[in-house]
Amino acid sequence: MATVQVSEAEKVYILHGIRDDLRVDGRGCEDYRHMEIETDVVSNTDGSAKVTLGHTAVLVGIKAEIGKPRPTVPNEGYLEFFVDCSANATPEFEGRGGEGLGTELSNTLYKVFNNKHSVDLKSLSICAGEHCWVLYVDVLLLQCDGNLYDAISVAIKAALFNTKIPRVHISTDEEGGKEIELSDDPYDCMRLNVENVPCIVTLCKVGHRHVVDATLQEKACSVASLIISVTHKGTVTCTRKVGGGSLDPESIFEMTEAGKRVGKALHAPLMKLLQQEERLGKKKQKVGFLG
Amino acid sequence: MPVDTKRVRGPEVSQSPSLFLGRPVAVLPSSGPRADGRQRDQVDVRPVFVRCGLVSQAKGSAYIEAGNTKLMCCVYGPRETERKDETDMKCGRLTTDMRFAPFSCPERGSWIQGSQDKDFSLMLHESLQPAVCLHKYPRSQIEVNVMVLENSGSVLAHAITCASLALADAGIEMYDLVLGCSIRQDGASYVVDPSYMEENYSSSASSENQGGLTVAFLPSLNQISGLQSDGEMTEEILTAGVRTCIEGCYKLYPVIQQALAKAVRKAAPPPSES
Repeated sequence: MATVQVSEAEKVYILHGIRDDLRVDGRGCEDYRHMEIETDVVSNTDGSAKVTLGHTAVLVGIKAEIGKPRPTVPNEGYLEFFVDCSANATPEFEGRGGEGLGTELSNTLYKVFNNKHSVDLKSLSICAGEHCWVLYVDVLLLQCDGNLYDAISVAIKAALFNTKIPRVHISTDEEGGKEIELSDDPYDCMRLNVENVPCIVTLCKVGHRHVVDATLQEKACSVASLIISVTHKGTVTCTRKVGGGSLDPESIFEMTEAGKRVGKALHAPLMKLLQQEERLGKKKQKVGFLG
Repeated sequence: MPVDTKRVRGPEVSQSPSLFLGRPVAVLPSSGPRADGRQRDQVDVRPVFVRCGLVSQAKGSAYIEAGNTKLMCCVYGPRETERKDETDMKCGRLTTDMRFAPFSCPERGSWIQGSQDKDFSLMLHESLQPAVCLHKYPRSQIEVNVMVLENSGSVLAHAITCASLALADAGIEMYDLVLGCSIRQDGASYVVDPSYMEENYSSSASSENQGGLTVAFLPSLNQISGLQSDGEMTEEILTAGVRTCIEGCYKLYPVIQQALAKAVRKAAPPPSES
């Protein structure tokens, strides 16, 4: 992750502030920064979303392709994640510098979605054992100001909501081979149910308290963080401790509980906002990348 | 997907014969005793065999066997580091690498590190880093290499234990040993230290609370240095699972301490006659 150098005096200042539930920018310990979400920003994709969380900007594009299902689960489609840390974000990511971070983020995303309920994979199957939809979820980091996991998970949820998979018809020709036909109508498409898609909450341990949505300065003062991915029902799909420090079991329990609370509360306003944006339809003002 | 151009690996589209099994894979029962006779819902870890000092070339090494899971770890260092970063001036660097032999899992893996291997290496690094006194080794690099010879479940937890034992055998200063324990939640019951079958083929009886959890723990300091879970669990089950893993680590602690003491005694020169 891009790091900033923080002096000892600044660290003490941040630590004391968090101890009194007051962060440098005036937020409480469990408040998020200003978040902006826009879907359907890239027209060549089947679904896309851009999320700006404070100064962190993330762009997700989803492309649906027809592929062969995995041999162990022939009647399901699957998702492939790839996170690219663009050199735009920080010069540390130039060349192969961002690969480590990118692999770490992709692996966590695989774990988050590695369960039966997040995305209905059976609906992605076209012909059991032969054809299925493969959703390639590509994440691009445009700007890096801390809290990448949260921004990425919100962007993926918004992009999946926005994804329009074209409907296919299977027809058998004379020799018995199967032919796939895409429907001619560009609006005849299948939408995904994103109710159960989890959102990731990152909690950083700073001093004796934990903070949600840490900026880079706060991250530099913390030794360890806990990433927890929560669905709208409150089930936890993935947890992971990151960072080079150790945590007390009691703080882990506290942080899990806080993470679950914050994560659960994130889903309802997000879905409402996405549905509102969808309803605007053609009247939606496109803000794009310069807003 | 990186392609290996140096080795001839046989036809590109070879598949494991287990995919062509006529009958479906046996679904494990979610109640009753486990396949190897251990109890469910109890902290019943597999008996563990550990030895230090296997590899003569390495500074420190350890081998662990738990049931059929076999892995070995070698530690090299502290060595002078090639990259001269400002961060290296104040404290040392720990590099970890965890690899699976291609024959270790029921399905053949590849020699090139896939993303899962890199993920395990990262988890290992995060679990070991809090325990090693890196500030005592400025401008140095300590390399930890784990090789999994046979994967019969709970591989990350045992790798963490093996790696911390190898670090202790190498004489690297540490705050405490790091022990790993993992648990598999299957509906309302859990199994500690799951075997490969228990990890991957869960019973589809209940669709809730299916998941796995691995915890790395420092027993004398009572600190958790690594935590990873996947699958779907409620928060209460997760918290209970973490407590169970901590108990499992405490059960393992005396065995590891004994193995380490034995290795040190063997390596120490015999007491002089006078």
